[in-house]
Amino acid sequence: MEARILEERKQSIMVKDFCCSGDGKSITCEKESVSGAVSQRACVYCGARVVLNPITDAYHIVHGPIGCASYTWDIRGSLSSGSDLYRNSFSTDLRERDVIFGGEKRLTAAIDEIVANHSPKLIFVYATCIVGVIGDDIEAVCKQATEKYNICVVPVKAPGFSGTKTLGYKMACDALMQVIKPHAKPEQPKKGINILGDFNLAGEMWIIKNYFKKIGVDVISTITGDASYDTLIKASTAELNIVQCAGSSTYLANRMEDELAIPFLKVSFFGVEDTTNSLMRVAYAIGDAEVIRKAEAFTEVESAKLQEFLTKYRRNLLGKKAAIYVGGGFKAISLIRQFNEMGIETVVVGTQTGKQEDYAVIQSLVNEHTVILDDANPAELETFMKEKGADILVGGVKERPLAYKLGIAFCDHNHERKHALAGYEGVVNFTKEINLTINSPVWQLL
Amino acid sequence: MGINFTNLNVNPCKMCTPMGSVTALYGIKKCMSILHGSQGCSTYIRRHMATHYNEPVDIASSSLTEEGTVFGGASNLIKGLENLIRLYNPEVIGVSTTCLAETIGEDIKAIIKNFYMANPDCKVKIIPVSTAGYAGTQYEGFFKALQAVVANVEMTTEKNNKINIITGLISPADTRYLKQLLDGLGVSYVLLPDLAENLDGVHVDVYNRLPSEGTSLEEISQMAGAKFTIELSTFVSDDISPAKYLEEHYGVPYKRMDLPVGLQATDAFIKQIVELGGVISPELTKERGRYLDAMVDSHKYNALGRATVFGEPDFVKAIINLCCENGIVPVVSATGAACSNFQAKIEAPIKKVAAGLFVENYAMVDDADFETIEQLTLDLKANVMIGNSDARRISEKHSIDLVRCAFPIHDRVGGQRIQMIGYAGSLQLLDRISNTLLGAKESTFREELYEKYYTGSDKKSPQAIHEVTKMNAQEIIAQKTATHPCYNCGAGQYARIHLPIAPKCNVQCNYCVRKYDCPNESRPGVTTEILDPEQAFQKYVIVKEKMPNLKVVGIAGPGDSLANFEQTKETLTLIKEYDPEVTFCLSTNGLMLPLYAQDLIDLGVTHVTVTLNAIDPKIGAKIYKYVDYMGVRYTGESGAGILIGNQLTGLKYLTSRGIICKVNTVMLKGVNDDHIETVVKKVKELGCEITNIMQLIPVAGSAFEDMPLVNNKEITAMRKQCEVHIKQMYHCKQCRADAIGTLGNDVSIEYRGCTAPSSTQEKTLEAKRFAVATKSGMLVDQHFGHASEFYIYESDGKTAKFIERRNVEKYCTGVEHCEDKASKIDNILTAVKDCHSVLALRIGDSPSKRLQDMGIGIVVTYDRIEDAVKKAANQ
Repeated sequence: MEARILEERKQSIMVKDFCCSGDGKSITCEKESVSGAVSQRACVYCGARVVLNPITDAYHIVHGPIGCASYTWDIRGSLSSGSDLYRNSFSTDLRERDVIFGGEKRLTAAIDEIVANHSPKLIFVYATCIVGVIGDDIEAVCKQATEKYNICVVPVKAPGFSGTKTLGYKMACDALMQVIKPHAKPEQPKKGINILGDFNLAGEMWIIKNYFKKIGVDVISTITGDASYDTLIKASTAELNIVQCAGSSTYLANRMEDELAIPFLKVSFFGVEDTTNSLMRVAYAIGDAEVIRKAEAFTEVESAKLQEFLTKYRRNLLGKKAAIYVGGGFKAISLIRQFNEMGIETVVVGTQTGKQEDYAVIQSLVNEHTVILDDANPAELETFMKEKGADILVGGVKERPLAYKLGIAFCDHNHERKHALAGYEGVVNFTKEINLTINSPVWQLL
Repeated sequence: MGINFTNLNVNPCKMCTPMGSVTALYGIKKCMSILHGSQGCSTYIRRHMATHYNEPVDIASSSLTEEGTVFGGASNLIKGLENLIRLYNPEVIGVSTTCLAETIGEDIKAIIKNFYMANPDCKVKIIPVSTAGYAGTQYEGFFKALQAVVANVEMTTEKNNKINIITGLISPADTRYLKQLLDGLGVSYVLLPDLAENLDGVHVDVYNRLPSEGTSLEEISQMAGAKFTIELSTFVSDDISPAKYLEEHYGVPYKRMDLPVGLQATDAFIKQIVELGGVISPELTKERGRYLDAMVDSHKYNALGRATVFGEPDFVKAIINLCCENGIVPVVSATGAACSNFQAKIEAPIKKVAAGLFVENYAMVDDADFETIEQLTLDLKANVMIGNSDARRISEKHSIDLVRCAFPIHDRVGGQRIQMIGYAGSLQLLDRISNTLLGAKESTFREELYEKYYTGSDKKSPQAIHEVTKMNAQEIIAQKTATHPCYNCGAGQYARIHLPIAPKCNVQCNYCVRKYDCPNESRPGVTTEILDPEQAFQKYVIVKEKMPNLKVVGIAGPGDSLANFEQTKETLTLIKEYDPEVTFCLSTNGLMLPLYAQDLIDLGVTHVTVTLNAIDPKIGAKIYKYVDYMGVRYTGESGAGILIGNQLTGLKYLTSRGIICKVNTVMLKGVNDDHIETVVKKVKELGCEITNIMQLIPVAGSAFEDMPLVNNKEITAMRKQCEVHIKQMYHCKQCRADAIGTLGNDVSIEYRGCTAPSSTQEKTLEAKRFAVATKSGMLVDQHFGHASEFYIYESDGKTAKFIERRNVEKYCTGVEHCEDKASKIDNILTAVKDCHSVLALRIGDSPSKRLQDMGIGIVVTYDRIEDAVKKAANQ
């Protein structure tokens, strides 16, 4: 089928060239998806669920019809060292009757039932599309339940139509603040750090936590990978927040800085250099000479261990071409840099919810003629991956079958993966995965 | 709703109607789907389908936003249709509504009419399907879509000889089989839908993003003239039934039948086709016979099956049919859909098979969630589950096997190729169920019966395992001895590292002073630095990196390794985790050996050296000034007695467990020189491998500093004298506690401080302060004028030291100032005024000039922050 690019999509696609301004202005982004274009984006509810779901001992109640609960039930690889509650899907399963008469009563009754049968500490109530339309006042229901039972019942207003996934992140951050803030005591001594924006996919939060243990930094709260109610409410006692997934959690970090006086730093644990720099930066920020010394020693050893491995694999990967299509700008940027280190050139790169500044950085990082897309659809991905001769696509599972149909290798860099990609361990896993798919014998037979 | 809740669904065993609708439409030729609603619905459904089918699943969305929700989504939908046509060039488009569209009252028929009016040349057949997600489940959505298809496609009423075959959701492989079966029976038919190819495509050179196979509009148009309709669903209600619609509007008679799964249902289906003109081929008869034969072959295994069957109602019924005719009792039958006649429709065969096997209790539930299914499965003791992969958690949690079947299957490949239809499909599924039951039996019966009947005597298996590991351990130790430079003088090419982690000592020997450190001096008890376990580990890694012949890690003080047991333990644990191959060697005075011997073995220590100068407390009293044991300081013979007793007990314990032990003895003229042979004989008796008789190194400040020296000749004579009893070490170099390298070449000086660069040395160059404009926090990636924050660093060119993150707004005096662009730059400049330079992705002319006026340098770059800062500091 011929390549077709919709007229209203053309502004969201650009090719890096000599004259591009480099400030990201030449690409249209942060806009609503074009109707009928087959966007790969999800919705507000999805964004909120992504951030909050890893809280292991919370009841996550989806207030709405069954679909929203069904398709998000335990689909992500967040691991828990404690409760397994978060792996369940609770839904008010609204039916026609509820849509006509309102679902507040059912929601109230559902919360009553949970309290009667279990001893919940924390309940999140997600409002989906129709709840936004039929006008259920979930805030009132949650407030009532909070007062009645003296537990934390938090509304998450996330009707799908009310914006993009990014708004969902914000809703989740507000919900988290609602859990954390009441436990802040003025003038309490602050020590240790909180890790924000890591969801413990394949144990990544544990990897990062172990690093901090080794360099002598206490981790107070992990937000939200492997979090529990009891650890979350201690978050206000930390002296520093570090933010791994900037897209989802910077808003929370800002609020915690403004309202709880906890400064924050952005970090990244993807790639050797980023991991090393991030650990050093946290060590300096803590300012303890012993921590700095340990961090120096630790990062030096860990980086050294990887050099031989990376040199070996680089031989197999040098000169390959990559296409990247991921959720946020931060991840895309990080991937371009990791590929650069492997000797792989990024020829197509796009994100679902990248911001203007993200695209400015992307433009700076990629070579000329690289295609940059915002909110791309399958037809565009197909067209440009073919045109640019990509050898591998990094994306989410929806994009995987497309890559395979086109005879292109694939790496899942999404929430469903079951191997860690963060930290020094992650470098090994990621490099191995890229090699095993890009150099698979099957491509020779197509 | 759940078994424990009336207002809460816990783990849904159902999906929504739009899911069913778009799946059905995947079986229509050149058809695309658009969901009228918010973006998430289409994305979630696509993900759910793509993971099961491993095919690209493209479903558009009208991407309704707040505005569309308030003012109506007509313009969104019309735009969406136009775009979809441009992108995919389909012949058919199904417009399915969602919860949102239905709730805000969208009239999609009217919108489609408007679309045609605006696009009079459009030839695409647009089919509206009303699928509110809260009204029913996916199987209802599936039939609603099919009914909408037959209701909207222009029909040819001219009579033909075709049979309409309408199915619910079956796998692409089953669809292909069904077509083969019908072809084999020699009848002409229209299959609706036909998703055999679109959701299980072949690999082709040129990918076509439009689903190009499936039931064509032309075929569908002939359905009105068909002679009969078979609808393979007994649960579909009249109001959404395509067969009923065809009867009402075109007079096509119909019959609803169970899916042809299992012998009886397949027989019934084929009988019906034969009545309509089909002819049974000899091959089909054989196929039937083969399934029947398999049923007989495995009936005894199947009779032990107690199944939980769950999913769409028609699927559940089909599996119940297959189970019951094979003697498997479906003790739990559950569907997530609400259907009041569920029990009435499925109970007869279950009742019969349960009665035959005296199974008294079985459950049949509709509107069930997985919490209910889990509870019933446990209560009724099901030993196999049959259905989609959503039961995987129950399966994992309770170790009940799950035979994956139906949609979705997210944790295995090949969901699209699972078969159950016809004799051949039934055979495949039955084999899978039987094998699951057999597998469970085969892998547990030995242990179970052993546990149950063979009680009261020693258990055989654990001991056997123990023997194997013991043998392996001995081999490993032998191998390690071969590469240990101290235990094997032929192993001189191998290197060892002594990690100085043990500062404390619990025995004061009269020849020992540990306080001096001269880097050029080499003797036991000397080290330049004490490392903590983490540092020791790092040192090991660094040395190992550069010294591949490094085979042995030794803990040799400078105090006593067991007086610092926690450090020793942690160090060895860290190293073992990193390098399981390494040989651990430890030297000790042996005082704490009985206490820690087993711990050492558990840690993987294979070689232990004990310094044992006497076995007679009288002689010992002359050598040891004091012994600190269990919180008490002992002197004289009592101290020496405790020490000697523990040394001998410890050595015995270790050697009896295969650990290689060496005894070091310091030859002290006039003190123990006549006693050494006695010591050597004793340790030989205890099973030690080798002894090392050493010269005294007189140290200033020690009690023995004036003791006469033993010359080489004397020491060699003593070793020769003892050699008749036990192997002697002639090559000892009396190493430092931080020695590194081969015995002949100590290179420890090169590695000193490698794990802890001294912070005082760094400050030789003047550290400058830098402000970094960054967005990501990892890169210099922000325009100076856009910066809302700066990462402040200090660097001397060697290290980049993070100081703080500065929020520009915090430097702002008031809100009104921030709004003003000129003031914003002022604030930015204030935020960086104490810096030597700023680093930014870009910077405008005006701020650039102002920075220069302030004497602040500018570096424009898009490097990694730490790298950029170091570079800037070096400029």
